[in-house]
Amino acid sequence: MGLAQSAIGALATVFAFILYHNFLGIQAVLNVTANDVILYMLILIVFGLLSIISGLFLVNEQ
Amino acid sequence: MERLREKPGLKRELGLLHATMIGIGGAISAGVFVMLGYAVSLAGTTVVIALVLCGIINLFTMCSYAELGAALPKAGGEYTFAKVAYGGFVSFFTGWFEWISNMFFAALSAVGFAYMIPYIIPINMPLTIVAILAITVIVIFAAINIRGVKEAGTAEAIMIIILLVILIAYIFGGISNPKTETFQLYAPEGFLGVVRATAYIFAVYLGAEAVAVAQAEIKNPSKTIPRSILLSAGVLIILYTVIAYVTLRIVPIESFSGESAPIIFAAEQAMGKLGTGILVIAGTIAALSSLNTSIMAQSRVAYALSRDGYFPKALLQVHHKFSTPHIAVVVGSIFTAVLAATGVINFVGYATDFGFIIGFALVNLSLMKLRKEKPLLNRPFKVPLYPFTPIAGIVTSLFLLIFIDPGVLSLGIVLCVLAVLAYYIRMVGYLRFRVAFGGISLGLGGFTAILTYLIAKGFMPFIDASPIMITAIIFILLFASIIQIIAGILNVTAKSNTF
Repeated sequence: MGLAQSAIGALATVFAFILYHNFLGIQAVLNVTANDVILYMLILIVFGLLSIISGLFLVNEQ
Repeated sequence: MERLREKPGLKRELGLLHATMIGIGGAISAGVFVMLGYAVSLAGTTVVIALVLCGIINLFTMCSYAELGAALPKAGGEYTFAKVAYGGFVSFFTGWFEWISNMFFAALSAVGFAYMIPYIIPINMPLTIVAILAITVIVIFAAINIRGVKEAGTAEAIMIIILLVILIAYIFGGISNPKTETFQLYAPEGFLGVVRATAYIFAVYLGAEAVAVAQAEIKNPSKTIPRSILLSAGVLIILYTVIAYVTLRIVPIESFSGESAPIIFAAEQAMGKLGTGILVIAGTIAALSSLNTSIMAQSRVAYALSRDGYFPKALLQVHHKFSTPHIAVVVGSIFTAVLAATGVINFVGYATDFGFIIGFALVNLSLMKLRKEKPLLNRPFKVPLYPFTPIAGIVTSLFLLIFIDPGVLSLGIVLCVLAVLAYYIRMVGYLRFRVAFGGISLGLGGFTAILTYLIAKGFMPFIDASPIMITAIIFILLFASIIQIIAGILNVTAKSNTF
């Protein structure tokens, strides 16, 4: 469970990077304006980091 | 087994040259090449006076660094001073700002380096390439810093000597140029413009205190630390002022507004394309040297915070062969690489100034408290004109904060709140920390579930997404939501303390 949560966190962080650099025109697909990218990216990074830390607690327990 | 029992510490391997170059290299970044333009628009040719004023303000606090560094030559710089003077939250607060400021500064320097590359090799630079280049140099300099403090110090000394040679060549090239203008002091916005320019351009002096952070690795600390700190502060005043003077003689003041890098433009006017090339190389070296210094500084602060139990003990590990805090270097470099890669640094990077200025005020306060409470502390160097000098350091630091951009101030407040949270979480212990994160996981799970519901109901329209893609997104979010909620429950109901 910890690994799954950490993996989700890592994917969210990677997705923030993809969104910022607009790989495959992802911003248009998700209807994200250029002005809002930073906000979305911050939310994704915070989500990702918190998930990674929380997941590591469970990994550490095993 | 014998190797495991030994506890290697940091080695004193840096001499006066190395330490001074760390100080100069910590301050000279790519910023100096671009900041002059806006400062001139505020202060006109009196920007030269603004630079001297900045240097004097910097010198007030550097004297405090010199006294405390010589008296307490342990790893951690400002953090160590605040720890001895105040302890508890104040020392953690100081170390926290020092740590994150250096990581932000390192990321800024790496990105600054990447943006200099198109001037050398005329290629198109999409953001992805900028990020890859920034990460590459972070990895290289992290490796150099792990390899040894002497190697990092030597790399710094070589880069700064080359940089100084280039800048001195620029100065002589500019002075001997027959097309130079007559220099006359002129302030378009009067005294207030000079004050605003002083507050703005002060950032070019930040970073010279890196000497104090590496003080546990400096040979003969009682003499070398104060000498290197004061020498680097003095060199910076002369260098910046003369560069500004020469640039203003070459470039007419009205031409500054259109130039993103006025020093490079001036070099082109004075020395042609060769001048541009040489100054671009100087800018690149400046960015790399500040990256090198910042990586070293952040790792030593993390090491010191770990030594005192605020950060995980893993960061306290010193490499058996190289005698460097390799885990602290790697962890800080990962954060730095993430900041540089995501581009958040363009916004958050301004926090660097805030963090350094707060550090300045706290160092002066620490000096005054220690003078009062520990009068018998061995002080190989003493701040002249005490208490005027540290008081002037505090007042001028706070004065600079008044003029800082409101957006930066609000970001600084956020960083203060984060520091309070981190301190509280560390102090309440592992189990409560874990339960808190369990609660956060539950919140994230609930948030993701609501997001999934909104997408499924069509409240968040996707323009170009096919129905299959939308279904896939819903299932991914649903899966993430379930994992977050289960993980949250497991952490909230945890009972054992495994830390």
